[in-house]
Amino acid sequence: MSYSSGELKILVVEDHIGDYILIEDYLTEEHLKIFLTRALTFAEAKEKLQSNAIYDLILLDLSLPDVDDNEKLVRNMVALSNQTPIIVLTGFANKVFGVKTLALGISDYLLKDELNAPQLAKSIYYSIERKKIDLKLSESERKYKSLFEASPLPMWVLDRHTLEFLNVNEAAMKMYGYSEEEFMQMNIRDLWSEDFQTIIENAWQKNYHDSFGMMVKHHKKNGEVLYLEITSNPIEFDGKEARVTQAKNITGQMAAEDALISSEKRFKALVQDASDLIMIFDFKGDMSYVSPSSNQMIGILDSEMVKNNFFYYIHKDDVEIVKEHVSMLHDKKRIQIPSYRIKTSENKWRYVETIITNLTDDVSVNGIVANCRDITEFIKQEKKLISSLRRYDTVAKATSDTITDYDIQNDKMYYNEGIESVFGYTKDEIENSGKWWNDKLHPDDKERVEGYSKYAKKEKPANIQVEYRFKCADGTYKYVLDRSYIVVDENGDAMRIIGAMQDITEIQNYIQTIEDHNSRLKDIAWTQSHVVRAPLARIMGIINLLQNFPDISEQAELLDHIITSAIELDDIIRNITIKTENVSSTNK
Amino acid sequence: MLEVLIIDDDDIVTLVQGKLLQNCNVCESPLKFKRASEALNYLNKASPENDYLLLLDINMPLMNGWEFLEEIEKLAIKDQIYVYMVTSSIDYNDKEKAKKYDRIVNFIEKPITIKNCDQLKEHKYFKSHFK
Repeated sequence: MSYSSGELKILVVEDHIGDYILIEDYLTEEHLKIFLTRALTFAEAKEKLQSNAIYDLILLDLSLPDVDDNEKLVRNMVALSNQTPIIVLTGFANKVFGVKTLALGISDYLLKDELNAPQLAKSIYYSIERKKIDLKLSESERKYKSLFEASPLPMWVLDRHTLEFLNVNEAAMKMYGYSEEEFMQMNIRDLWSEDFQTIIENAWQKNYHDSFGMMVKHHKKNGEVLYLEITSNPIEFDGKEARVTQAKNITGQMAAEDALISSEKRFKALVQDASDLIMIFDFKGDMSYVSPSSNQMIGILDSEMVKNNFFYYIHKDDVEIVKEHVSMLHDKKRIQIPSYRIKTSENKWRYVETIITNLTDDVSVNGIVANCRDITEFIKQEKKLISSLRRYDTVAKATSDTITDYDIQNDKMYYNEGIESVFGYTKDEIENSGKWWNDKLHPDDKERVEGYSKYAKKEKPANIQVEYRFKCADGTYKYVLDRSYIVVDENGDAMRIIGAMQDITEIQNYIQTIEDHNSRLKDIAWTQSHVVRAPLARIMGIINLLQNFPDISEQAELLDHIITSAIELDDIIRNITIKTENVSSTNK
Repeated sequence: MLEVLIIDDDDIVTLVQGKLLQNCNVCESPLKFKRASEALNYLNKASPENDYLLLLDINMPLMNGWEFLEEIEKLAIKDQIYVYMVTSSIDYNDKEKAKKYDRIVNFIEKPITIKNCDQLKEHKYFKSHFK
């Protein structure tokens, strides 16, 4: 294996020159562009890590001259590493501690005595890859959290089914006057004003798993009435089905218009406060109108936002593409701009999708109307999905199992490389139908396995485990231990079956050998009890006679019989020896 | 009178057992049968006046000890017949199987010893023949 996608800078903390040279040899053997920095002591390693140098990886020997507490060393190194993956090298005596270091934040540990070039390279490759994925995941989680926590708009997360509070942000606590502890004991229904209960309940029921927005009337802790414009979106929160709701306080507007509320006014208010951001600007990007939802979407008041150029708010990597699309409006009436990033009041970025319409000819508008929709959540989900797929790929690389993914509705079966490397099929031979897989089952196992998969689709157990024989490309069969689980959709219907086919042919063959061995040994044991005892019992009987009745007649004849029986016994024992030898030789 | 029949396909066994029975004063001249079928013929015509003690081997060609036991049940004098199973096998299963036959008085692993003979003479069924 070679990890050849660039230079690798590695800090090797190793006092022993022999081991260092060995490591260097191994690394150069596997990797061409490698830069090693060596530290002889922990003090030296610390100095190097605190300097500006950047390393892709740290190799850490546990036995250093200036360290007597290994655990402390590991903790210090992890603290100094600044997220750089660390691989620990230990002697055999430290194996238990090596395992323990994983819990302290070490990427991998390797035993020096078992070290070799491919193993070292593989460990380095996995450590760096894994660290990258970990960092990406925690980064996106952190972003989401701060967005929620610091949002100037009141936000909360509800259990999608019970409507109990799962999380609530600072702005919401401030607006309602309840503490976080109090919210966690409450249900959103506790906030609803009586005269709005039916309306909200209906809207919620209708959009049980969908996004919706509406105006609602709530009560604060002190009883005061709040008019809110809310948008509520389904999300997954801590593994639960939840919905996140964002509220905009419109009590002031409502109070002013209270007496005048007519259906027309309400309609206008809804358009004004729709969650989409609506802007009007010219071809240069100078804006003449921004809808109030700018505050809700990016935290900037419409009156502030309108003062700047439209392109000012766009991420520098995206702005060219947006400009290109805007200029297309010379020829086209209406264009959709692919997703781009727009700056918030906190200099963060939201992903938006925009439809622009050229209404420069319309006297009442005299500009380009842009309708932006916030798709940040969607993009985040997509990114999460990609990283989880990458992780899945990493796992699949690390196992020799054949991973199967069966799409039940479309009868499509997908495999990882295992189907080629374990069973010998080439890409051209593999068909992605369920039938193709079924046809590879051993005829004697087919009925049992089919029965099992019918049961699995119906009962949807969390895990299924079944053994069968699976045909290889060369026509031979391999014993397979198949562990699968069922993926269900939101209605509980089985959608996919993800499985891992483990090749247990060797184990099965081994068991067969042991069983053969056993049956031969049984044979020998039977011989011993029956055949050996016959002449032996005769000899014992004759000796018994001669001892107890010394004057017995025909002594010579009896002695002859002892000899005959002894020879017979000897033959039998030789025979057993040969049989036993056969057993042990077939075992090899 | 107690007649003793030794039924075993091994000539040396019948010889040694015969001599032991003689010297232990169990029986002056025990009858020896190499085939179970021959013993069956003999018993078929035997006198109902006597008791019959059979030293019966299990592993024999043509008709083994167990098959022979089934045949005995068809005889008129079956209630005068007492069986000592004598085998070289130390197979636990054989011993268990023997318990199911009422006709079997004892189960002995070869070789028969003087002690076996002494116990035989003290046995409640045969005591009366050795006074």
